[in-house]
Amino acid sequence: MYAYLFPLYYLAQETATEEVTEAFSFVALANQLVNGIGIVGILLLTGLGLAITFGVMRIINLAHGEFIMLGAYVTFLMQETFDMDLLLTIPFAFLITAAIGALVEISIIRRLYGRPLETLLATWGLSIVLQGVIKLIFTAQLKYVKSPTYISGNLTLLKDAQGSPAIAISYYRLFIVAVAIALLALTAYLLYNTDLGRQIRAVTQNRDMAKCLGVNTSLVDMVTFAYGCGLAGVAGAVISSLKSVSPPMGQDYLVDAWMTVVTGGVDRLIGVLAGAFLIGESSSGIAYLLNDPSARVIVLAAVIILIRYKPEGLFTIQKRG
Amino acid sequence: MNKQYQPNLPSGLSRRKFIKYSSLAVGTGILAACSGGASSTGDEDLGENPIKVGVMYSTTGTIAIVEKSLQDATFLALEQINTNTGPWEGKGIGIEGRKIQKVVVNPDSNWDLYNQMSKRLIDEDQVLCVLGCYTSASRKSVLPVFEEKDSLLYYPVYYEGNECSSNVFYTGAAPNQQITDSIPYCKENFGPKGFFIGSDYIYPKESNRIAKAELEKIGGQVVGDEYSALGTTEFITIINKIKQAKPDFVLSNLVGDSIPAFYRQYKDAGITSEQIPIMAYPTTEEEIQAMGSEYASGHYTSFNYFQTVDTPENKAFVEQFKAKFGDNRVTNGVMEAAYFQTFLMAQAMQKVLKEKGELNTKTIREATRGQIFQAPQGLVKVDADNYHTYLYSRIGKWGADGQAEIVFATPAAVKPIAWSQTLYPGRICTRPVPDDRSNPIKETKQELGVKYLEKT
Repeated sequence: MYAYLFPLYYLAQETATEEVTEAFSFVALANQLVNGIGIVGILLLTGLGLAITFGVMRIINLAHGEFIMLGAYVTFLMQETFDMDLLLTIPFAFLITAAIGALVEISIIRRLYGRPLETLLATWGLSIVLQGVIKLIFTAQLKYVKSPTYISGNLTLLKDAQGSPAIAISYYRLFIVAVAIALLALTAYLLYNTDLGRQIRAVTQNRDMAKCLGVNTSLVDMVTFAYGCGLAGVAGAVISSLKSVSPPMGQDYLVDAWMTVVTGGVDRLIGVLAGAFLIGESSSGIAYLLNDPSARVIVLAAVIILIRYKPEGLFTIQKRG
Repeated sequence: MNKQYQPNLPSGLSRRKFIKYSSLAVGTGILAACSGGASSTGDEDLGENPIKVGVMYSTTGTIAIVEKSLQDATFLALEQINTNTGPWEGKGIGIEGRKIQKVVVNPDSNWDLYNQMSKRLIDEDQVLCVLGCYTSASRKSVLPVFEEKDSLLYYPVYYEGNECSSNVFYTGAAPNQQITDSIPYCKENFGPKGFFIGSDYIYPKESNRIAKAELEKIGGQVVGDEYSALGTTEFITIINKIKQAKPDFVLSNLVGDSIPAFYRQYKDAGITSEQIPIMAYPTTEEEIQAMGSEYASGHYTSFNYFQTVDTPENKAFVEQFKAKFGDNRVTNGVMEAAYFQTFLMAQAMQKVLKEKGELNTKTIREATRGQIFQAPQGLVKVDADNYHTYLYSRIGKWGADGQAEIVFATPAAVKPIAWSQTLYPGRICTRPVPDDRSNPIKETKQELGVKYLEKT
């Protein structure tokens, strides 16, 4: 027990035993870093929705993890009732979570714009309510989601002397990365190249002015928030077959998604990609050298230090105060 | 900032009214949440002078996934006792005509709440004993309460051992009923090199420490020892390290949500059960159902009970459980222990009442010692010396249907030993009759061998 009270002692001890048990290998480290892409994909996917609701709209949404959970349950429900393929359930996950998001915006968030503390408390409460409701409907049991059989197996990049794969990454992880990057591109297009995107940015930059110019701000708010929640739903649907589906599952992703968004900076979408890459790769690298729990401690501590000296995140736009 | 944007509230609902209504709504919500934790006794007709028994499992929070199923199994047993059905058939309604009144609390997966709720069960509700707890953390949290107030806890879970309390009856496996047989099995069938993984808390760490000692004693080698935070669902690193170390088998003590995630990613990473099989302790039918049986197919679990155990008692148990809770439910070893320990308790109470005794901690404790029961897993018996339970030791190989094929089983229930004999040779726990709650630990300096329950 005392080992936990002295993390440094604990880390030193862990590294010491590590060196005895296995020899350091660069191929293995390279493999670990390649597989770190798998973590990057999940971070990007779960952080993207938050980049909209927090990055663009400045809503501190603590129920973000629960929207991921809702997406996973939509996939589960679709598979259970219609025996649907996982890929086919993704649009449904998007639409249903977006609809719930719109409902939440109309009933709760709309009344709290400009009051971050109340928003924080309200969305926290909402996350508890959503977990409770899902548990009442689906019980607390872990749920089974079938993964698509045609996305299985591994992509081998390098073979070792015996011909077995030395550097390999699973196709499903690559699929997650592909979905995440596609959604990122789509979101960037929506924000910067469409009328809706211009309106969204106008509303968040100067709400009153946008209103004066005839922008229907409440509609724009609702659509933006719903879109952010829909993205979280897609994340839940895609992740569901690789991880566990249960009512408290969203809590796991909430902290990671926040770290990703805050590290990268909230003003530009590219910040999410950078944040996901930095956190994913550094935690997978450190986890290889030490172990998972210590990697988490070190990365979280690093994020705190980063926010202390660069509160706007790494990729920010200079703004007039 | 606040002044820039004033929300337009719908007409007819002023800000003050909105605040009033919303705080009312929040208040009601909190009240509802709190009453979820309060004890409820149900509204069934319990007749005269019912016997109060506490049931303490979390039905909310992270561990609810498991504990809810234990509560279900306990409720089934209590119902059968109160209605003279199931294994209780022929013994009369309730215990000598007195029905059992269950006092149910929900500690919300919060270890401190287990402590508070057990105090309340004992002091305010005045229950005679409590059926409950799942994690070692929650057991450690309530142990001082049961010892200080001299009450009784029936604990249905396999655990890491190293404990021998006068106030707990352990009806799950001690280390020697789960680890001691599975480690030699792994070495003989898979090879000498093991990679040990687990969730980062007391049970997996202690259990792996015992397993490591057992493996090294028979000439095996631990080539990796990795832990992940409770509830982790990301296993890229651990799986890479397993690939790197090329072990003959993986010993998994991951618990809860981590189990389905690990098995899925293990298969997804391209490791098959023929290459490196997983031997696990906490992976049961319930988790297999959640991950999808194709991911567990060919891997192994060491447990006292599997749903496929071929006894008439088990057939009846599975049937009755499904009839009450739904056809898609499965039964597992922890649920089975939660189920049969309720009958052990009831039999002890019946014995006290038959001898015209008064029901209290002392009499129930003495009556529970040595109690036997024809459980779904086979004949089990509460050890009169160390309050653990004689249980069968079995190893199951998971099939494509999500059920285990039993590949190893002891001929009868194994006598429990609370301390791993490899780590603490000769340490035993014996209590005098009647129990005077003195220090029970004796060092015999001689390693204890395997002893089976003799059928009478």
